[in-house]
Formats: sequence, C-alpha cells, structure tokens
Amino acid sequence: MKTKFFLIAFCLLGYFGFAQGAGDIVGVWEPGHGKAKVKIDKIDDKFYGKIVWLQEPIDTVTGEPKVDKNNPDESMQSAPLRGFRILKDFEYKGEGIWEEGTIYDPENGTSYSCIITMKDENTLDIRGYVGVKTFGRTDTWRRLIRKK
Amino acid sequence: MNYNYKIFALLVLFGLGITAIQAQEDEEDYSKYDDFELEDDTPVKRYASPKISGMSPQKFIGVSFDAQMPYKYEFSKVTFPQSLDNGFDVDEENPTINETGRAKFTGGLRLNTNIPIISKSSFVWQSGINFMDTRYNIRENLNSPRSPLFLPDGTEARSLGRILNEDGLRNINWTNTFFFPMNETEFLVFQTQMDLSGNYGLDEFQSLSTIRYSAAAIYGRRVNDYFRWGVGVSRTYRVGNLNYVPVIMFDWTSENKKWGTEILFPARAYVRYKINQNSLLLAGFDLEGQSYRIDEYSVNGNSYEIRRGEVRPKLEFQTKISGYIWASVQAGLRYDWSYDADELDGDADFFRGFFGDQDFGMINNFENPFFFNVGINFVSP
Repeated sequence: MKTKFFLIAFCLLGYFGFAQGAGDIVGVWEPGHGKAKVKIDKIDDKFYGKIVWLQEPIDTVTGEPKVDKNNPDESMQSAPLRGFRILKDFEYKGEGIWEEGTIYDPENGTSYSCIITMKDENTLDIRGYVGVKTFGRTDTWRRLIRKK
Repeated sequence: MNYNYKIFALLVLFGLGITAIQAQEDEEDYSKYDDFELEDDTPVKRYASPKISGMSPQKFIGVSFDAQMPYKYEFSKVTFPQSLDNGFDVDEENPTINETGRAKFTGGLRLNTNIPIISKSSFVWQSGINFMDTRYNIRENLNSPRSPLFLPDGTEARSLGRILNEDGLRNINWTNTFFFPMNETEFLVFQTQMDLSGNYGLDEFQSLSTIRYSAAAIYGRRVNDYFRWGVGVSRTYRVGNLNYVPVIMFDWTSENKKWGTEILFPARAYVRYKINQNSLLLAGFDLEGQSYRIDEYSVNGNSYEIRRGEVRPKLEFQTKISGYIWASVQAGLRYDWSYDADELDGDADFFRGFFGDQDFGMINNFENPFFFNVGINFVSP
C-alpha cells in the first residue's frame, strides 16, 4: 500500500514538474534587438507568441501603424504588426526545449523552423533555421515584467 | 430533429466562443506593455545585425554553370626567367605572339557553400568550400604555335593552348568569414581564403605548398536597418597576381525596399532592384581572379603561374522557385584584366601591385566575350 502511494505521488510530482516546466515560457519577452516585445501564451497544448509592443509602431512612409506588408499572403498584408503572431505551434519537449514551431520574420515575410531553448528562467535562445538546424541563427530573448 | 438542434446549438456556442476569444485578442490594451521592463537587472548588450533590410538572399549552397561565348586569344612565347636566369625577355608592349586561336567554349561547373558554423547575435562564423572548374574548347590556328615550346632542360612541352584544351583550370577555395559586432552600431569583419589553383586533375592534386592565401579586414558601422558602411584592407588575388587593396563596403536599401546597393569594392558592386517579394535584379560587376599553376611549365622547383583576372559587368536575376530554393541567371561581359604569367622563384609569390615594374614571363591577350551563368541555390531569404 505504501509503495503504491509513493508511486502515485512520484507520478503526480513528475506530471506537475513537467507541466510547470512547459509553462515557464509563458510571459513577455524582448528579442535581442530590443525593438519589440513578444508575449508568449499557451493555447491548448501549444505555445504561441505575438508582438505586443513596437519601439517604432508607426510606418514612416504611410504615417499609419505598421502592418505586415511583406507577408507573401496578400490578404494578410494589411494586418497590424502589433498583435501579429510570430511564434506558432511550439510543443514542449522537456528539458527546457520547445520545438515543432515556426518563427516569422516580418522584415522579409518569411517563416523559419524554430527551436526555443530556455537557458535560465529569464533567458531564451531562439534559433530560426531553414531546412536543418545548421542553417540558422540564434537570438537571445530576455524576460520582461511589469514595472513595480 | 431534437438531436440536430443540439448539434446546431453546440456549433453556435463553439463559434461564439472562437469569436469571443478573437475579440478578446483584438481588444487587448497593448498600452499596458509600455510598462514592462527586464526582469533581470543585468545590463543588456545589444549587437549590430550581420545584415540590413532588403538585401538579396544569403546563399548557403549553390550550384551553377558558367559559360563564355567564343573569343580569340593571343599567347606570347613562354619564357623561364627564373630557371634560365636570363632576365625577362618578353616585350610587354609588343610581345612576340607565338600562339593564336579561338576558344569556342570556356566555362564549367561551380559549387559554392557558405555554412554557418556559429551564428548568434554576438558572433557569426561562416565557412565554405568552393570549387570552380574551367574547361576550354580551343581551336588553335593552323600556324600555331609558330615555334615549338622547349623547357629549360631541352625537352619539348605542350603549348599553353593545348594544355588549356586538354586539362582546363581548376580552383578549390576555402573561405572563412567572421563577423564581430562590437555594439549596436560598430562591427568588424575578417575573412580568410585559401586557394589551390592550377591545371591539376581531381585525382592528382598539385602540391599544397602552392596554396595562395588571401585575407580581408573591415571596420563597419550599421547606421540603421537600411544602411551600413565599412572600410578595410585586403590581400587579394582577384586581379590575378598578389595585391593589397583598400576595401569599401556600402550596403543600402531605400525605405520602400525597392532599390538598394550591395557593394564590397573591389570584389563586387551591385545596384539592387526588388521586382517583388520573390524576385530581384542586380546590376553591377564582379572581379574574379586567381593565380593558376601550370604544372608542365613548373620546373627546377619553380612555380609557373597564370595570373587570371577578369572583370564581369553583369545583370543578375534571382527568383524564388520553392521554399528556400532560389534560381539565379547572370549575363554580362567577361572583360580580360590579366591572363599573363609569372615564373615564381620556388613557390614564393611576390608583390607587383598596380605600379610594380617586374616583367611578366608571358603576355597574353583575350577578346572580351559575353558570358552567362545559371544556378540554383539554397538560401536564407
């Protein structure tokens, strides 16, 4: 009986431990260039990130809020960049790694395969790549919190 | 019927739920994110990005076929000033022409790689092996060569036209590029290159002591997302023989991203026009060159090398085929900068520069034909 109790407790601990690790990525993050803030949320079992702040929110050419004008899908070219999901479909794989997702670069309208690695609770390594992980670039994102 | 109503009600509720979530997202008050700051107090060091907005896609792997249209050539007699110690006896102004003919075809396969070894915000190291095969289909004139070619030991050798026709020229290159951003604006670029060039076959490499080394160092400033410039120096073989030249980088993109420049002078300089999201046009020039060892003429421990340098004013069209696969088509003029030859003392090269008065061992001239190049590339847009 005691053994069963410990076994169940161990499994539950393991489950909650896993769940907690997966959710660590949720929050607001700043990419390496510091020109945007990205909020990562969990929706169902996957993780998504959208732009919630831009250092320069107004397009200097049009004078209007920036839109996703480089999107290859014409119907999306008028979508505001603020609120745009640039991280999609990430699944937690354990050990602080989220995979199977994509990152979108509004600069050129291209989506790249992506892997996210949590270096510590306030730092993410985001590697976008084409084809295989070798052909990519890693950016470091830092966690943001609301000013106290 | 009752069952259908239940399904309908569920669908309506589900639809309303999605709409509600969407509305919630759309109505989010983004101003609250103005107040977010770094959780960690550690100062953040930001780095200049290794590229600017709107540049042509970076090529990771490329395969292309290069071909020059037919042209006439004139080669002087071959002299061996180092081996025979009799000085240079080629009149550079009026060289004695010994070989004439027509190159009906010049070109071949080119393989290029540029693999990111380390690629992160604070440091980028890219490395690539490149291979360029140049085959010739030469028809010598009836009276060519005018006199047979004898090596210093008295044995007869093939004419240069025949060597090019039978062997062709090959270049294997290893390039390493290092990008060091110092801060958000300033950066340094270092590039090293090793080239093995000659009429060797792939089953019979020439001595590695004939590898030629090139290098460049650039200091640059990334002014904004649309403009960066840099200045530096390079040791290069792009004009055929060893040279030390200043380098100027000037990459710029207009705000609407339609126009731009991609300049790394003197190696290349282009004006860029973006046709649409998936295709662009480059107009400008490339400077290509290397020092090619001719094994048959390399006697007495010396190295006999053709200083091949060519300027290629051209138009290049790049377009996306699918995903990260892009095609490129180039057409332009192959302008002969140099095809002269030196006999080097041992394998050691020397610096002639643009103003040096050392005489050449051979003085050779080409007509300047059109060329084209078609390729397929694996790129990062």
